[in-house]
Amino acid sequence: MEHRHIITLEVEDKPGVLSRISTLFSRRGFNVDSLTVGHTHRPGISRFTIVVQGNDQVVEQIRKQSQKLIHVLTVQDLEQKRSVMREFAIIKLDYNLEDSKEINEIVDLYGGRMLDSGEGQLIVEFSGTEAKINKVFRKLEKFKVLESIRTGKIGMQIGSL
Amino acid sequence: MGSAKNLELTGAQALVKVLEEKGVTHIFGYPGGANLPIFDALRQSRQIQFVLARHEQGAAHMAEGFARIKNRPGVVLATSGPGATNLVTGLADALLDSIPLVALTGQIPREFIGTDAFQEVDCLNITMPVTKHNELVHEEAQLVPALEAAFYIADTGRKGPVLVDIPKDVLTNSYPHQFGLPLVLPGYNPTVIGNVGQVKKALKALNKAARPVVLVGGGVVSAGAVPELLEFVRKLKLPVVRTLMGTGVIPVEDPLYIGLVGTHGNQAANRLVQKDADVIFAIGTKLGNRATMRTQLFSRNATLIHLDIDPAEISKVIPAQIPIVGSIKETLRDMLRRIQEKPIRQNQIPWIIGKKSSHLLATQDQAEVLELVIKALSAIDRPLHVSTDVGRHQMWANHYCTNPKHLPLLTSGGLGTMGFGLPAAIGAWFAQPDRSAVNLTGDGSFMMNMQEFAVAVEYQIPLVVCVFNDGRLSMIRELQNAQYGKRHIAHDLGPRIDYMGFAKAMGGTGYRVLHEDNIGPMLLKALNGGRPCIIDFDLEKIAHSGHLHAVANQ
Repeated sequence: MEHRHIITLEVEDKPGVLSRISTLFSRRGFNVDSLTVGHTHRPGISRFTIVVQGNDQVVEQIRKQSQKLIHVLTVQDLEQKRSVMREFAIIKLDYNLEDSKEINEIVDLYGGRMLDSGEGQLIVEFSGTEAKINKVFRKLEKFKVLESIRTGKIGMQIGSL
Repeated sequence: MGSAKNLELTGAQALVKVLEEKGVTHIFGYPGGANLPIFDALRQSRQIQFVLARHEQGAAHMAEGFARIKNRPGVVLATSGPGATNLVTGLADALLDSIPLVALTGQIPREFIGTDAFQEVDCLNITMPVTKHNELVHEEAQLVPALEAAFYIADTGRKGPVLVDIPKDVLTNSYPHQFGLPLVLPGYNPTVIGNVGQVKKALKALNKAARPVVLVGGGVVSAGAVPELLEFVRKLKLPVVRTLMGTGVIPVEDPLYIGLVGTHGNQAANRLVQKDADVIFAIGTKLGNRATMRTQLFSRNATLIHLDIDPAEISKVIPAQIPIVGSIKETLRDMLRRIQEKPIRQNQIPWIIGKKSSHLLATQDQAEVLELVIKALSAIDRPLHVSTDVGRHQMWANHYCTNPKHLPLLTSGGLGTMGFGLPAAIGAWFAQPDRSAVNLTGDGSFMMNMQEFAVAVEYQIPLVVCVFNDGRLSMIRELQNAQYGKRHIAHDLGPRIDYMGFAKAMGGTGYRVLHEDNIGPMLLKALNGGRPCIIDFDLEKIAHSGHLHAVANQ
């Protein structure tokens, strides 16, 4: 059965490694919902979180094919029930006085932060689960959203591997 | 690897030193602006012979032929830009057939990378999906480690091509290069021996099986595990079927041998893996679509045991009930030890034996001539390098190249590269020059890389190119007959080419065969000549002409 998997890859931080990963995923026809990458606490090691759609066989192939890349150190299919996942979003809104109270309430309620205000515009940030970020976007729908960006998921398994 | 030492050398000199330390004796390639420093350094090497191909694709296939015979990485050298792009087909071919190659490309100087400079392409990204691994050398210090790693990666685990792209200024700058440092490849741990539990499970399943069959692929050959495989199947009296790349693993006369599976295989072999068998032990095969045909039918009644060195091949297309990841040679040895200690299938009568069936090849359009020529070749009982190209003749060769002295059959199985055969035969000869080489080819395939005949002439290679000349792409015609209601297009090669004349123009010898009685004698004559030649087999004339007629141009 097709469902979403969150795959994390630890990789050697070598030039071209992002290209290797994305080439592999596109060539094998793996469907990517989101991909994030960044450094870890260990020098020279980066970590990808990739959200993919697929059945168990597809995900097993993703795991094995990724593991074959020389610069990939570990591959893990996160068990969603035993993992923490977060997304991050930045949203720019058109701002006027009558909306301000309600927007502030949403920011407070969802643990957001006001990053900038001025020239009739607001920039706010939110982080949380995908469901929570979805909810924030729905709540803000009635205001005039000028720009928005959300990262893909980043995630980590609870407990030892 | 010796102890680390540190020498002030140019990058090109350091590169040649690494190649010499790796035991490289031949490089196939082509010069250009960006790789000329390597050539300058190669002039100083007494160990390495450079073979100038006439096209980089040809050089890559030569390196493949060389690697298949030597069972160690072939080395190919090309320049930046078009040199690199011309390599792509050869790299893909080596990747799909798991042939160890080290490909070296010159790149434009670092300061110009990314500026669309003359002869610049993004070699790293172009070759990424057609190599096992590749690297662009960004710093002088990375050059030697990248080269040393390339040889290691190409030749271990599931073998394959590794490319190192080297900017020209890295090649010309002097630098205190360090040699023999320990390789740092934390993400690369090729598996060696199959998991004990899985091995035991496999033996148990084979022991209990009523109708087991072993399916062998090219992995058995590249692992050098043919003796172990034969001992194993003979001890347990298991019938054997094979894929195209598994040619010659078991002699065709062996009563255990049933045939080739797949689209161009044997009925009996396909019936086994699709219907009759209750346990299939697949060894060193990716179970590609050419072998399994309809995947929903393959192994539907059977328990599949799948042994491969590459974990990603297991359950990729066909789910395996008993996966075993490991070196085929080591794992079969382990299995042999276990059945030595605790025999299995002792009182089993072989459930199928000596059952051969005809092949599934289309017999139209003078195909019988292919059979005659290939059988005549196999009857020549002396060691030969034999290569094929791609098309109808490849399938006939796969069934009828049965002489063990002509193995391995050099053929492009995975990629199906027309134009592979001639340069592969040349590369094989450089690997082992004490035997003559034969390239079986169609006129379509031959024209894809016919320029490499000049290399055979230059080195006076005892090479016989057998061109099956029918003036058309006969496998295309065959497919259009079978699948497109005989609506023919683009299979006609137009005005007939005089291959005898071509051979002569290139400085070789040309022969033409027009009658079937002359096939065997002409092959012998050409082989005994010991020089590069082309035999033009006129399929139509041979099939229809009633009188013996052969001419040679000498």
